[in-house]
Amino acid sequence: MTEQSTTRTRRRGVTEQQRPLWLLTPGGLLMTLIILVPLLLAVYISLIDLDQYTLRRWLDAPFIGLRNFTEAFESGLPRSIWISVSFAVISTAATVPFGIAAAVATQNAFRGRALVRAVFLIPYVLPSFVVATVWRTMLQPDGIVNTMLAKVGVDGALWLSGPTSFWTLILVEIWAAWPFIYLMALAGLQSVDGEVHEASAIDGANWWPKLTHVILPYLRGPVLLACLLATLHHINNFTLPYVLFGAPAPDDVNVMPMIVYVTSFQGLRFGLSAAMAIVSLLLIAIPLFAYLRALRLDVHEDGGRK
Amino acid sequence: MTASTTPRPVPVLAPARRAGRARRRTAAGEAHRLLPAPLLAAVTVTLCAMVLAPTLYIVLASLNTDVGVASGEFWPRAFSLDSYSRIWTTADLATGLLNSMLVCALVAVASALLGTITAYVLVRYTFTGRLTILRGLVGLQSIPGTLMLLPVFVLFSSAGNYLGLTVVGTRWGLFLAYLTFALPFSTWVMVTYLRGLPRELEEAGRMDGASTLRILFRIIVPLSLPAIVVSGIFAFLLGWNDVLFASVLTRPETQTAAVALSAFGATQEGGAIPVYSQVMAAALISAAPVVLLYLAFQRYLVGGLTAGGVK
Repeated sequence: MTEQSTTRTRRRGVTEQQRPLWLLTPGGLLMTLIILVPLLLAVYISLIDLDQYTLRRWLDAPFIGLRNFTEAFESGLPRSIWISVSFAVISTAATVPFGIAAAVATQNAFRGRALVRAVFLIPYVLPSFVVATVWRTMLQPDGIVNTMLAKVGVDGALWLSGPTSFWTLILVEIWAAWPFIYLMALAGLQSVDGEVHEASAIDGANWWPKLTHVILPYLRGPVLLACLLATLHHINNFTLPYVLFGAPAPDDVNVMPMIVYVTSFQGLRFGLSAAMAIVSLLLIAIPLFAYLRALRLDVHEDGGRK
Repeated sequence: MTASTTPRPVPVLAPARRAGRARRRTAAGEAHRLLPAPLLAAVTVTLCAMVLAPTLYIVLASLNTDVGVASGEFWPRAFSLDSYSRIWTTADLATGLLNSMLVCALVAVASALLGTITAYVLVRYTFTGRLTILRGLVGLQSIPGTLMLLPVFVLFSSAGNYLGLTVVGTRWGLFLAYLTFALPFSTWVMVTYLRGLPRELEEAGRMDGASTLRILFRIIVPLSLPAIVVSGIFAFLLGWNDVLFASVLTRPETQTAAVALSAFGATQEGGAIPVYSQVMAAALISAAPVVLLYLAFQRYLVGGLTAGGVK
């Protein structure tokens, strides 16, 4: 492939020397300096005993090998991994039905559809920190949610502390994240050819068999991709737990981003926190590699687009 | 990698095309109907209620008074814009908004520009390491921000300790961080777009002896404005929506709207007389620039979104 394109490029009159590779310098320099170097630095920090006393002269901090990693696993990290993974999986699974239902419902034109589609995008457009702030306010013990529940005779809850906080986090995440699945499902629906509808109409298919056997298979790819990306997003989500519960978070919502952040910037155990962060990166690497493999990278200018 | 730690889904198709295709589809006949009317109504109403109930409350509470909200009113007894005027003295929102605006606008422009240049080289020329870079652009977007925060902080403070450059606490530090984290996505948006752009025009330019930079700015940039807008806006949003980096890399004078709002929201607990109405007003004010951006560039953005965009 590479060889082929090189010859083609050459034939089109650009020689090796004329390639303006120097144009990559500014972007490349930034990404090297502020992404790649810090990544390596993170690995190094995870191997040294860095705390508030050694921070100013971190190059002199003592090297302690894998001790930070063993300490991480003996402390709260395994629990945080468990919380993060269950939070991410439950959130993803719960948003899929909403997303698909919304996409299917707005696929056919009806009066006011544009408005409905705009409404569906509201949680998506609102910044995460805004969503978290308003839900935090609404879920206060004396907030509107408990007031409304009391009006219908249900006892309110302490949403923001104790074991309930885990489900609060999931509920707010579902509210904020389902439109993403909706958008991806919508893109999938648009790839259904008109003939498919006509064929099933001629066959006299009822709406439910048509939906489950004809239409939904078209959504498999986009929705699976959406699930993968959504899961990554949930696992990496820092803003929502941080703004919703504050730091340090209640034990039941001590997700990985939170424990890493708190260990660094409140516990000031920088080495330990870097070790935790690297473990969380390894965890993310699993879905990430699946995604990278599924993605077609070298689609050249004219050929290859699906 | 994003400051708000969102993995950036990657647009699969050029934004403009996607939007065009969506438009063509709207004329659907009876055969295209997916749901029976009652069910369609039920689904639509349920989902709209789910979204609109909290949204409506936020708006109503912001138009209420602090006392009214505290007494548990859903519908205000009296509408007032009081909270919108009092919020500026209660919380330091103005500084936050100004800082966010400055930093994010600059990030948007710089990121779109650098992304376009980088993407152009990646799409039009082959060289060793090209595939690695392309793969890296996607992979880098999913690195957790919490992993990057500490080493970036150490690096930035080292610039102070060892080189005498103050980076931590300045808007420049924040700008550098956001720009770098926005670049992989901005570049990727441009890569997907430029792939679909025919070469013929640039080749004509090259025949006429135009330099690469001239071709880039006279031919490529005007042709890819929609994608450039999308990549700039997403870079803006990355900065605007970030709490993680801003919470560590800023001082009170340089804090962003996100930090100001979350701090303000958090002080409403425990003892103090809550000013929930003002919290809601502040939240809506902080969301306004983002909502306006979406409304103004809806035509471009919905394509980018449908293709799997980002916040």
